Amino acid sequence: MTTQALSETMPNPSRFSVRSALQNAGIGLALLALILFFSVFTEHFLTPNNITNILTQITINLVLAVGMTFVILIGGIDLSVGSVMAFAAVVAGKAITLPGFGPAEAIALAVVAATLTGVACGMINGVISAYWALPSFIITLGMLNIARGAALQVSDAQTIYSFPYAFEEFGSAMIYGVPVVFLVALFLVLVAWFVLNFTVFGRLLYGIGNNEEAVRLAGHSVYWYKVAAFTICGFTAGIAAIVYMARLNISSPIAGIGFELNAIAAVIIGGTSLSGGRGSVIGTLLGAFIIGVLANGLILIGLSDFMRQMITGVVIIVAVVLDYYRAKYASK
Amino acid sequence: MKLLKIAAAAATGLALLAGTAQADDKPVVGLIMKSLANEFFQNMMAGAQAHEEKRGDYKLLAVGMQNETDFESQINAVENFITQGVDAIVVAPADSRAMVRPLKKAMAAGIVVVNFDVALDADAKKQQNIELAFVGPDNRGGAKLAGDALGKKLGAGGKVVIIEGNPGADNANERRLGFEDSVAEFELELLDSRTAHWETEEANTVFSNMLTAHPDIQGVMAANDSMAIGVVKALESAGRDDIVVVGFDNIPAVGPMIADGRMLATVDQFGTDMAANSIDLALEVVKGGPQLEGWVKTPIELVTAN
Amino acid sequence: MAAASPAIMPQSSENPAFLSVQGLKKHFGGVKALDGVSFSLLKGEVHALVGENGAGKSTLIKILSGVFPYDSGSISLAGEDYRPASPHDAKDLGVQVVHQEFNLLEHLSIAENISVERMPTNRFGLLDKQEMNQRARSALDAVGLTDVDVKAPVSSLGIAHRQLVEISRALQRKSRILILDEPTATLTERETRRLFEIVETIKADGVTIVFVSHHLEEVFAICDRVTVFRNGVSIGTDRISETTPDGVVQKMVGRQLAASTNDAGPSRKPGELALRLDELCTQANPSDKGISFDLRYGEIVGIAGLVGSGRTEILRGIFGVDPIRSGRVLQGGNEMRFSGPRDAIAAGIGFVTEDRKDEGLILEMPIAANMSLANMRAVSRSGLLQFSEENRRSRDGGARLKLKYGKISDAVSSLSGGNQQKVVLAKWLGRNPKVLLLDEPTRGVDVGAKAEIYAILKELARDRVALLVVSSEMPELMTLADRILVLAEHEIQGELTRPEFSEENILKLAYGQARQAGGQKQ
Repeated sequence: MTTQALSETMPNPSRFSVRSALQNAGIGLALLALILFFSVFTEHFLTPNNITNILTQITINLVLAVGMTFVILIGGIDLSVGSVMAFAAVVAGKAITLPGFGPAEAIALAVVAATLTGVACGMINGVISAYWALPSFIITLGMLNIARGAALQVSDAQTIYSFPYAFEEFGSAMIYGVPVVFLVALFLVLVAWFVLNFTVFGRLLYGIGNNEEAVRLAGHSVYWYKVAAFTICGFTAGIAAIVYMARLNISSPIAGIGFELNAIAAVIIGGTSLSGGRGSVIGTLLGAFIIGVLANGLILIGLSDFMRQMITGVVIIVAVVLDYYRAKYASK
Repeated sequence: MKLLKIAAAAATGLALLAGTAQADDKPVVGLIMKSLANEFFQNMMAGAQAHEEKRGDYKLLAVGMQNETDFESQINAVENFITQGVDAIVVAPADSRAMVRPLKKAMAAGIVVVNFDVALDADAKKQQNIELAFVGPDNRGGAKLAGDALGKKLGAGGKVVIIEGNPGADNANERRLGFEDSVAEFELELLDSRTAHWETEEANTVFSNMLTAHPDIQGVMAANDSMAIGVVKALESAGRDDIVVVGFDNIPAVGPMIADGRMLATVDQFGTDMAANSIDLALEVVKGGPQLEGWVKTPIELVTAN
Repeated sequence: MAAASPAIMPQSSENPAFLSVQGLKKHFGGVKALDGVSFSLLKGEVHALVGENGAGKSTLIKILSGVFPYDSGSISLAGEDYRPASPHDAKDLGVQVVHQEFNLLEHLSIAENISVERMPTNRFGLLDKQEMNQRARSALDAVGLTDVDVKAPVSSLGIAHRQLVEISRALQRKSRILILDEPTATLTERETRRLFEIVETIKADGVTIVFVSHHLEEVFAICDRVTVFRNGVSIGTDRISETTPDGVVQKMVGRQLAASTNDAGPSRKPGELALRLDELCTQANPSDKGISFDLRYGEIVGIAGLVGSGRTEILRGIFGVDPIRSGRVLQGGNEMRFSGPRDAIAAGIGFVTEDRKDEGLILEMPIAANMSLANMRAVSRSGLLQFSEENRRSRDGGARLKLKYGKISDAVSSLSGGNQQKVVLAKWLGRNPKVLLLDEPTRGVDVGAKAEIYAILKELARDRVALLVVSSEMPELMTLADRILVLAEHEIQGELTRPEFSEENILKLAYGQARQAGGQKQ
């Protein structure tokens, strides 16, 4: 016990990653168990087509959950992502159907419009909740309504349709049976993982989630980091809007109702603490898979809609309870 | 959610204040709509406003809801209209039972009440001891029109699934029953029936999974066109062009799909005119015409490529 | 277990051991927290537990209070096997702990906090507020807080009052053994004296008191016997009347302290002006008169005063944490306008905050991450973390401060209080600050680590760093400082130079007596 600075030479990034790796292993096991269960009880589950389906179906939630992870890590929450996605989709839908553009320009315009809309909404969330130190729960609840209203206003509550063919192509393109839109989401996960683990920015987000005051007194602008986290979340809502449009080839102002709750569930099931400071985006990836596999598998085994909803709720509660014990034993 | 309701109620109040400020001797009609986030009702509202301008002999006070299930604000709106002393209330109820009691109050206050779009529950009406006519389309009959088109195309033994609207919503129920009538009549085989909450993305996901579980599906009956679009996209992704889809509502976005055969049919219930027609009927009664009775059916029409 | 345990049994036979611990062991994974602890408590005695941080006192307390089970050994309470399954269990058996870190619910009233374990109910099963307030009143009166409103929220209390509320809460239930874990760490001298009076009263009621403290003078003032811990082993128990502070310290460290902490003191020559405060008034300062003084490179200036006299606020004002209402901070003749800590840090200022847990450290994060928190640029390149550089710097920083740790990637929460404080210091030393502000730099730190921290601070001063130290421990200021400013009610009451240093002089100024007498002499 009196030994000073016990030898220790490995460039070990942080015990964080070790701990979160263990934690992710736990979530991974749960996912594996689900997959095993459905493989045994339905003949269609483990087929190439169905795997493609699952990947397509979790993509939007995964994209939203990646951004949500940033916000929850700093101890915030963003309830507006579903509405912001719809707003971004409608704005992009208006842009893509503007007359006088070739397909390539129209698509580029739509992508820019969707991401800018998302970024703007996220930034507003961040600036207001960080500047006045207000609970993000209520600010983003306001934004939930603003963005939904804006989506309906801009679209006049009409479904926008007839997008360029190339856009639709992108939405349904596959590489070896893996949807390209899913690869986009996976790329976002990897970027987020890198940012959170290997950059000063990521380190300080964890720091803010754990002890905002200590980070502030160490001379960092907590304000801008918070704004950045919410902006990232808005950005992913914009990306989700593009995925939505490419996949369904329409923009609907009533898209994404309740999506925020699914995204939050994916993050929490993935082991990120709602009070911030602890968690990982790899966990979020696994959490999104658990939700997606459950939604898919329960339909395949023919469970009724209502039972399906109940079981999804049970899984969320079980995940949080398990996480409580995981955190308790990890800290001993 | 509470906030939404408060906001909606506040908006309602403001609309009413504005309304009375300029009241003259023209009859005043209070129109209570469902969710204006739904393009069907949005279009209906626009139709009513155009109608007011065209007729010019009445004053329209219109109130919309935040969402499909927000019947609390509808009740508030009825009560506010009673206080304002409107001549007629034209209402598309969000809940077929909850709305009966407030409407009874309105009738007792001498206001002409016209119930359109969704019929009030017959038992609830009996319990409250009121007689109230219903003006609206036959959702069940309309769904059966679409279902029959599908049945004719597939013939007996055709394997079909139903994509339902919100569980508990009356029009969702009626449309499901209409589809089931077709299933029975044409001896189709119903493989599965699930809700996608009227929404495109969810319909896309739910139907993809149904298709995985039942690759032998031959036909799909979607309770609205938004969901039908999701189904069509799922079929395209799965590379299936052998499955026949029918929808409901005839929204503009499905026009091209029907034209090029990706959808077999949809049903038009002329929603744009529905509120306006109901207002006409209400004004007849206000002017001393006979009370409406039973079910005043509004037109419905099957829409196909030819 | 076979280790000799000298003097564990009481000599007098008419007073048998009330609680007896034999060969107690507790391991966490591979770490031996307790490795053979034996001692006994007599009924109605005040028994001190002393030892450096990490010696095993905290673990022992947690076992006694039912937080952890023990691996082997035995404990008996009043002749019966004592094995509490939970803190609740321990409380039912009459073992109460007042923790070093408070367990109060900030936004609830004092009365609610005092009754939180057993809310009084009336015959309808509803909360009986009147009874609750009455209980709180008598509990507070018992610890001398007669002037405090029981309906006020705990958040309105200062840190010292909170401590007393905790004690009154523990006393309110029938206690057989009351464990006070560093109860004086946050108290001023006057409050400490009041606490000791309370301890005497409780003792007279036949309650056994376990007193954990780093202050040997306190141990010798109120305790009957003392048990020394080192490295998870109990070294021995002595009657206070039969030992000396030096003897206890020797047992604690297992060696003679190289140099007394109170040596001849600094013979440093203050250099150039580092900081000048000109009528500085922060928003937290209700007084109209600002604070003015100079701080020079290579000197240590102490700030003394009672809790609430505005000491911390000066540091926070300089560092740009609290907004400045009026007055100026000058550095090298230029007025500095810090819009936040970031500007102050850029100007070469560091701030070791009072509250490690809330302001200084991110407990859940690795030691290395905490050390580089104020110096991210040094351990990153274009925003990317350089882990090997970070670990190298952190190990260097740790070695410089003789930090005791397992792995540099361990969470800071795994360290003892003294070592956590060293991490806070290392965080700022990594930036080579020109001016270092320190608020209670050795709070909750054991004797050995304290001496080490003093040595480091003196070395910094020799290296021409300007240090401004706020402390409630007068011996600490007298050891470290070249001069001491004494505050009362947000005003400087006077300045003492080394020849004038004495607790009496400081207290006179702190209580405003000297000022009433028309200022101090000279």
